[in-house]
Amino acid sequence: MATTAKNKSRRAAGWILLGAAAAVFCRMFPLFHVVPLKTLVAEKQAQTFPAAAIAQKFWAEKLLPAARKTVSADVLLAAIEENPASARTNYGHSPGLSDSYFYFLRGVGRVVSVSDDQIGLAVRPNSTRAEIVLETGLLFGNALRDGSGLLNAGDYPNSQDFNDLAAALNHLAETGVLPELRTAKIGQTVSFAGCAEVDDESTDLHPLQVIPIQATVQ
Amino acid sequence: MKTNWLKLTLTVATAFAVIFSVESGLAQTVAKPKIAVVISTLNNPWFVVLANTARERAEELGCQATIFDSQNDTAREAAHFDNIIAGGYKAILFNPTDANGSIANVLKAKAAGIPVFCIDREINSTNAAVSQILSDSYSGCVKLGEYFVKTVGREGDYAELLGIVGDNNTWNRSKGFHSVVDRFPGLKMVAQQSADFDRAKALEVMSAILQAHPNLRAVFCGNDAMAMGAYQALVAAGREGQVKVFGFDGAEDVLKLIAEGKIVATGMQFPKVMARTAAEYAVAYLKGRRDFPQKVPVAVELVTKANVSKYGDYGKK
Repeated sequence: MATTAKNKSRRAAGWILLGAAAAVFCRMFPLFHVVPLKTLVAEKQAQTFPAAAIAQKFWAEKLLPAARKTVSADVLLAAIEENPASARTNYGHSPGLSDSYFYFLRGVGRVVSVSDDQIGLAVRPNSTRAEIVLETGLLFGNALRDGSGLLNAGDYPNSQDFNDLAAALNHLAETGVLPELRTAKIGQTVSFAGCAEVDDESTDLHPLQVIPIQATVQ
Repeated sequence: MKTNWLKLTLTVATAFAVIFSVESGLAQTVAKPKIAVVISTLNNPWFVVLANTARERAEELGCQATIFDSQNDTAREAAHFDNIIAGGYKAILFNPTDANGSIANVLKAKAAGIPVFCIDREINSTNAAVSQILSDSYSGCVKLGEYFVKTVGREGDYAELLGIVGDNNTWNRSKGFHSVVDRFPGLKMVAQQSADFDRAKALEVMSAILQAHPNLRAVFCGNDAMAMGAYQALVAAGREGQVKVFGFDGAEDVLKLIAEGKIVATGMQFPKVMARTAAEYAVAYLKGRRDFPQKVPVAVELVTKANVSKYGDYGKK
């Protein structure tokens, strides 16, 4: 009888020890982790793709030098007026499969209109209407990333990084280019370079809307 | 005797005809390369369209195509890849379940000499798949974000229903949307929850959000299945006129509700364009082409009540 009781208590002690060992094991090597969505979002945001630094380097070393050699606004506008399809073929480019396409252009124009988030320029000598509109408000989208054709999505394993680059380039334009542009007044001359996104060939390009990467007001 | 010769000639000719036709049939069967279409889930009409279009295009181009459903499960997807490699398939048209978790499967196929072409969803690697044909979700959601601000206004409470948290499309869509909406501090996101791109789950999640947030003015959903679930929750709560719903995909049922003014907008992806392109790339690869772009972005277009008549059948009419 006493032996049975002893065996029972030994067995119980064995189970307790086993349970304790299992608890210690699970504590050290958890079978799963519960991560709050907020933490996951914060982790995603904190991941280390240095979008701002890459954007800055691209801006200074590739985008601005390329802007000096790109098509001038008066040539592009004349080409669009003559034949939008061949203007697209000769001066535009479209990443991937899309009806939309981009122009990368430079030019000089007279300020003919000013609003809260746009400045209208006449770029040809006899023109008095806004042929180019420079955006001066909040900047969104991929025009600065994709407009020049110098960046390739295939170089970035994670498209989220490539998209962060778009936001970083918009930020550079907002902080480095738009403040001076917002001081422009009607009658002043603005030299500029920038990118324009066109939805498709039926889009009205009078005026052509451009996100500036460079602007000097005189 | 004459008749016997005639019979003999006819018999021999018939035998030759039968042998040649059987041989030619066999030759045709043998010559048809097998292509696998591996899809993350077929529990969503959008992916069914993606799968069927890929299979049909591959068959039009002379291949034999089979669809495999991964049911959003990377283990099941891995088992499909093992079977595909063992089964003598020549190419894989692949819609991954997980941007990171699916890389190993693609590398396994690559090691076995089977080219993989990703459709719609990417993997976080540029040296595994031959090419990745992907919706430009970020840009599409930038457009949706701009339209959101235009229609909801610059102030108010809104919620967001996220897709599968391991999928890049979930975050590309969310980030595109927030790249616009977060610039307007008056717009406050009071709830952000995952509903796994699933309609039933979205109904459940949205019902809970509606109870907790009586002043909600809008909900942005990472796909149209979730937009439909959210709309169902609004109808059940009697608040369908008060909360604006935004989706993403261009699914038929959502286009119908946009036309009726019940859902505000969606982003039209082009699943048929992506699936056809992937099948055409695979066949071109089998014929010897090797110069494929690693990533081919496919533009997403904003669909609202103003232009919904231009869209249908998972693309432009």
